[in-house]
Amino acid sequence: MSTTRTAPALRPLRRTSRRSPLRQLGKGVLVALLLAFTLFPVYWMLNSSLDAQAGHTNSFWPAEPTLDHYWFVLTEGGFGTFLRNSLLVALGTVLISSALALLASVAVARFRFRMRTQILMLVLIVQMVPLEALVIPLFVQVRDLQLLETLIGLVVVYVALALPFGIWMLRGFVAAVPIELEEAAYLDGASWGRMFWSVLLPLVAPGLVATSIFSFITAWNEFIFAMTMLGGATENYTVAIGLRSFFGVHSNDWGAIMAASTIITVPVMIFFILVQRRLASGLTAGAVKA
Amino acid sequence: MTQQLTAAPPRIGRARAAFVRPWLLLAPALLVLAVLLLWPLVRVFLFSLQDYGLREITTGEPNWTGVDNYAEILSTPELWTVVLPNTVGFAVLAVAGTVAFGTGVAVLLASLGTFWRTVTSSAIMAAWAMPAVTGTYVWVWIFDADRGVFNDVLMGLGLLDDPTNWFTDRWTFYAIVLLNVIHHGFPFVAVTVLAGLLGVPKEMLEAAEMDGAGSFRRFFSIIVPQLRQVFAVVIILSTIWDFKVFAQVYLMPGGAGSNRSVLNLGVWSYVESFGQNRYGFGSAIAVLLTLLLLVITAVYVRTVLAEEER
Amino acid sequence: MTRAMRRPIAAAIGALAVAATTAACGGGSGDDASEGDGTLNVWIMQGTNPDADDFFDEVSTAFEEETGATLDVEFVEWADAHDRFVTSIAGGTTPDVAETGTTWTPEFADAGALAPLDEQVEGAGVTDDLVEGLVEAGTYDGQLYGMPWYAGVRSLVYNTEMFEQAGVEPPTTWAELEDAAAALKEEFPDKIAVAVPGDAEFTVYPWVWGAGGEVATLEGDTWTSQLDSPESQEGIEFWTGLATEGGYSSAGATTWRETDVLDSFAAGDVGMAVMGSWTPGAIVDANPDMDGKFAAVPIPGKDGGMSPSVLGGSHLSMFETAEDKDLAFAFIEMMTTGEFAQKWGEQSGYFPGQVSLLDETLESTDPLVAPFAEQFVDGGASVPAAPTYGAVQAKATTSTMMQSILAGDADVATASAAAAEEMTTILNGSE
Repeated sequence: MSTTRTAPALRPLRRTSRRSPLRQLGKGVLVALLLAFTLFPVYWMLNSSLDAQAGHTNSFWPAEPTLDHYWFVLTEGGFGTFLRNSLLVALGTVLISSALALLASVAVARFRFRMRTQILMLVLIVQMVPLEALVIPLFVQVRDLQLLETLIGLVVVYVALALPFGIWMLRGFVAAVPIELEEAAYLDGASWGRMFWSVLLPLVAPGLVATSIFSFITAWNEFIFAMTMLGGATENYTVAIGLRSFFGVHSNDWGAIMAASTIITVPVMIFFILVQRRLASGLTAGAVKA
Repeated sequence: MTQQLTAAPPRIGRARAAFVRPWLLLAPALLVLAVLLLWPLVRVFLFSLQDYGLREITTGEPNWTGVDNYAEILSTPELWTVVLPNTVGFAVLAVAGTVAFGTGVAVLLASLGTFWRTVTSSAIMAAWAMPAVTGTYVWVWIFDADRGVFNDVLMGLGLLDDPTNWFTDRWTFYAIVLLNVIHHGFPFVAVTVLAGLLGVPKEMLEAAEMDGAGSFRRFFSIIVPQLRQVFAVVIILSTIWDFKVFAQVYLMPGGAGSNRSVLNLGVWSYVESFGQNRYGFGSAIAVLLTLLLLVITAVYVRTVLAEEER
Repeated sequence: MTRAMRRPIAAAIGALAVAATTAACGGGSGDDASEGDGTLNVWIMQGTNPDADDFFDEVSTAFEEETGATLDVEFVEWADAHDRFVTSIAGGTTPDVAETGTTWTPEFADAGALAPLDEQVEGAGVTDDLVEGLVEAGTYDGQLYGMPWYAGVRSLVYNTEMFEQAGVEPPTTWAELEDAAAALKEEFPDKIAVAVPGDAEFTVYPWVWGAGGEVATLEGDTWTSQLDSPESQEGIEFWTGLATEGGYSSAGATTWRETDVLDSFAAGDVGMAVMGSWTPGAIVDANPDMDGKFAAVPIPGKDGGMSPSVLGGSHLSMFETAEDKDLAFAFIEMMTTGEFAQKWGEQSGYFPGQVSLLDETLESTDPLVAPFAEQFVDGGASVPAAPTYGAVQAKATTSTMMQSILAGDADVATASAAAAEEMTTILNGSE
């Protein structure tokens, strides 16, 4: 929300900088360094993935350009299936966790009730537990729910992992919606449910985008739980564990590893770049109003 | 920035609904949290009071040993000389580095024109989008002793005579982890702080500029106080994330336990649990790590929540 | 976790004659095979045999013909396998039969997850035909839990081109080995004369044994690690000295695993290294140029002869969760004896776990088979057969010692004393 005011807020800063060419140069250097730092690993990943000689020689561009690594990863490596699984799991996680997080965040942001603070504390505390410690008890839990080796089991776990952060961020967002709008809706005779759909929901949509991204990443990148819970169900593997299969049988196939990494990373990257503006505004609202 | 809370919608008949509704809204989320996070969390604590091995998991029979696990952890000299310093020291450096760098980048971005800002922030997004696992492999590959590009370049420039193995030394090992974590973590800070920066009323800045305040002064005396809450959030979240670094250490050469001088709490817990089948001992380590984070979060809750309730 | 286990793959082990020893038909078990759901779930390690898919297609067909039950084979990565087993034991989702690394069998047996096999092995009449070292490794508390399937051994593999150019002969004593390394370094200053990897415990023990030391000894019920005995220290001193004093290894090797050694050897960057009998195929696979440019010799003894080397291998184990234990054993028997056992050995480059099949292999004269076979028979040794040895591996006790010595953080005496203390503690466990 606040980002919509970008341009005017910037002017003073920009005007200052225009005055001195030296400063402009300095800024150019900084931007160049920043770009180099952020992009080098990405570039290096791409470079290695396209080079038949990856792992044998080092060069800053593919010494022997090839798409073989990608071909290998997608056909023999079975990455097509892994991609589909990851996508299903991620979408399921995003939909369910956003819905649950939205409802819960409305409760904690809009209502004052007993135990409210305790619940907020709880939401914060569960984020602090090292995931590695939860592997065994969660595993047993999912076993009891009869969901081992299924994608649904994974979705359930990821929803739980993504939920606390989602509630925490959306809470700030809901709180930022002016209460007067709600009251106006009531004055028009709307029920609470109607107010929720037609007033609150559209206004917190940017916040939902931001939380969705976080849930998406959680589901897309998660490794340990996928490994333990999917067990031998290779047909249900997600990309993160699929990546492991290129390691270590005889040698580390860096070309294939980097190609697989690229395949994992690129969709997220495109997604991120597309939604970056919304992400930024979602984060601010979530963070600033927290 | 403070938020006043509304009680129920302003109609008398809704009083009861207002009492029930928050719980109805919370129910699904609480159910998921209780079944999948809280109960397992309680279980971790219960495991930590037992000599809990593979046999106990299979049979489900408890094997209580009281606080033996905790006693053993606290009397392990490496906890104090290696594991805690690695965990805490690294988290402090990583949080400071991530926040400082991220803020610097945010300030830089705020001063750029639209075109360059879009280019740069897209690049930042790319760094953010790189999964931790993939990112770690890429950094390992870059710093590989024999075939990594880093040693190659240093040797090409004549700065290094023989390939150096950067993964064996505690300091260089964590320097690489730090680089990795900052690379992965600063985009969140930069984007959040940038959004906050853009929200600072321009009148304040203009006024300060007219008063002759330099850019540094403007930054520290106007922007920083305005963004106090933003910084609080960013710092606490980074702290929670950086205390728990696992994959970034575990996947590095020697990071999975063979190089004892680089162990941190997370890896130690995992290695003891799964390597030694000592789930009780590993759980106790995890409980300690959680407690450590709890203390830190208490500070956060006090600053942020207290302010809001005001 | 136990990634220090061997990494497989094809080598022409030479022609094993079709010695269809014991009845390849799973005697007696076919009758009640229709119990359970008629499907046998099996886990096999990924990558041991490059043609595993075809191999198991064949096995499935034969198995179905014989028992009427279908076979469901899943391939498991070595790297994940230990965790996978542990979680499946915890979750009650274990397969009926699985390939278990020899150091894991006692551990899983100790957890109560495996079913003893003595009766069925006896019934099949193969008890006396099993390779001794593998039986020993698969025995826990006096009962056999792991049916010997296949095994491999490590020897000294060297780059013949580099040796010729440097004018050295394959070493037969430690002194010769050091001289050869010096000559190689002289001739190829940019290459690694001898790879001394820091994260590969099985490349360390030969030198310990070769100097007359032991990894650990059992007295009564108590294990004592001997890594800090004067003999063991001498062996470790020699092996690490090649890197720290001679500079014949590389800085990178301090964190190398066996896969990294293989990578570099295949790239032609390494003069000699301790590598497994299953690696020649993988080397040529990784770099076809290496074909015919390397050979093996048994790991030299200190003053001649050979230093013992670890027999690493796999068992087939039956899990307690198997509903139809006779059906499960029918599969185990089919796999570990007769035609299929022999074929597996040929395709994977491992030695079969049955003496009568092994004899054939030993007659081979292939330069990449004979030295390994010699080592296998005369210079094979076993790591301590304790259920807790897997925990020692997971703790990376030996790798920790190696890395601290190679990185210059500790001398041999200090590091080996620390390692021995830790190993003794873990071996004796809490139970």
